[in-house]
Amino acid sequence: MFSKIMRVAGIDIKIGFRETTILYILIFPLILAFILKALTASNDIISLNAVIDPSVPSQMEEYLEQYGKVERVDSREDMDERVTKTDDYLGVFWNGESYTIVQQGNEEDLGEVLEFVINSMETRNLDIPAEVRISDVGWTLSPMKQYGGSLLVIFMSVMGGMVIVLNLIEEKTSNTLAAMNVSPVTRKEYVMGKSFIGFVVPIFHVIATLLILDYGDIDILKVIVVTLSIAVISVLIGFLIGVTNDDMMGGIASMKAVFMPVLASVFGAIFLSAKWQFLLYWSPFYWAFKSMDAIILKQATWGGIIVNTGIILGLTGIVFLLLNKRIREGLN
Amino acid sequence: MINVEKLYYSYTKDNIFAVKDLSFQVKEGEVFGFLGPSGAGKSTTQGILTGLLPMQQGKADVAGFDMKKPPREMFNRIGVSFEQSNVYEKLTARENLDFYKKLFDVPTLDSLELLKLAGLDHVADKKAGTFSKGMKHRLTFIRSMINNPEVWFLDEPTTGLDPAIASQIKDIIKDRHKEGRTIFLTTHNMFIADELCDRVGFIIDGVLKLIDSPRNLKLQYGEKFVDVEYRLDESTKKETLSIVKEEDRHRLNEIINTREIELMHTKEATLEEIFIKVTGRGLV
Repeated sequence: MFSKIMRVAGIDIKIGFRETTILYILIFPLILAFILKALTASNDIISLNAVIDPSVPSQMEEYLEQYGKVERVDSREDMDERVTKTDDYLGVFWNGESYTIVQQGNEEDLGEVLEFVINSMETRNLDIPAEVRISDVGWTLSPMKQYGGSLLVIFMSVMGGMVIVLNLIEEKTSNTLAAMNVSPVTRKEYVMGKSFIGFVVPIFHVIATLLILDYGDIDILKVIVVTLSIAVISVLIGFLIGVTNDDMMGGIASMKAVFMPVLASVFGAIFLSAKWQFLLYWSPFYWAFKSMDAIILKQATWGGIIVNTGIILGLTGIVFLLLNKRIREGLN
Repeated sequence: MINVEKLYYSYTKDNIFAVKDLSFQVKEGEVFGFLGPSGAGKSTTQGILTGLLPMQQGKADVAGFDMKKPPREMFNRIGVSFEQSNVYEKLTARENLDFYKKLFDVPTLDSLELLKLAGLDHVADKKAGTFSKGMKHRLTFIRSMINNPEVWFLDEPTTGLDPAIASQIKDIIKDRHKEGRTIFLTTHNMFIADELCDRVGFIIDGVLKLIDSPRNLKLQYGEKFVDVEYRLDESTKKETLSIVKEEDRHRLNEIINTREIELMHTKEATLEEIFIKVTGRGLV
């Protein structure tokens, strides 16, 4: 059984790499991830990163580490070189009487903030020491990076269903589905083989996206669980659209319509106040977004993920019961 | 090998039947031709016998498998060639066959040998999407042989093919027949049926009108006349004479003995003429 499932899956993968539309679907989300990465690159400046030379005492180094990353280099030349790199690092050296801050010039107010921080260290023993506090408004990530990443992950989970749509329509238009129906491959093996790509593609996309966007040490296992749970409904929708459409354009148009509840769920989850969130409880994409958001913010617990995944699978089960007959008929 | 008893099928699931009260048997090793015009119910019958359409009323078994709920193992023992070619266009001819053969649980034939058989070995590694209609049809046809089926269903195997390729296909069918395979041939081409089939069944409007061997049908329905053309006074004369009537037989004998014969042939009825006579309808 497993070998036949893999053969059906294998043929889809082989054809996928030779079909420009499917290749486009595989590559497009990664391009989106790179665009999002470019748009959110400036988020790194929220930390106060410094590069110091040997003249700076270790006490100051430890103090600065409370506010950001600190790199110690061997010479002034190395410090200057580090400062000129594209990311935002400010140089600091001690000339025996005072500290000097070296910057590229485009760091905006970071130099002044660092000056305050250094002064607070130097004046801490005075009767009325200058105290520098850095507070935030609760954002550990920029909204674009936080929500953009989650939206992209949910969006990509639907992409696997889109590949299934295209493969099924191709099978129908070329009538190879009939040839498959007179082979010893069971309906279950065929459906599982066709579904395989609907799970593999989102996993590949999501992991690649998270690496591109560099969220740090987020729990990949939780990400995979959420991705697989939402991929189930995407696969189901993919099969329904695949069996009910006889041409590629119709299939793609129907799949685009699926993006509406995806976007509505995500934007609703972001913008609706807590008391109105219940309006989105019907949508599996809403629960997937909530899970992904918590994972990206490193606030997700296994308990929460399991509950949300259970809700997603429950809703998917209801959809399956409604669509099962139609899909089975369409595969005949 | 194939037994059908009181088979009915309605696409609309009411009393409008695409096939009705169909009963026939196909013996092991026999080539059975299922003949009729478009829309007569040929493909519906083949669809039921290959499991593509569900059984509604009646009984049918193929190679010992009840078609009410055919198990997937049945497809290890049957082969189905479709009227319209259905191949993966993004795959090469060899990849198409290699993929399909891996779906079977029984020994399969070598892909390249099959491609050679159909004269496609020179394009084995070309994508099927670049093939002509005839080449795709041949690929579909040989794919149906890949599991060396005991029962082979062929739907219009030569339709739309040029005479040379059609002849190639017919030769393959004849070879399989000699090997003892049971073949269920669906066609509206009476010449193909005449050439290949041991028995034929005429179906029209979903009803099986008649089953017999082409020879018996010709004997039963053909006109027993001879056309003879001979030279007389610098010109050619033509006469049509009965080979049953005494008077005509003497006349034929006289012509043969005294005249220079240019052409002579029996007026054997074609299957198409017999079909029209039996059903009152043409084959278009």
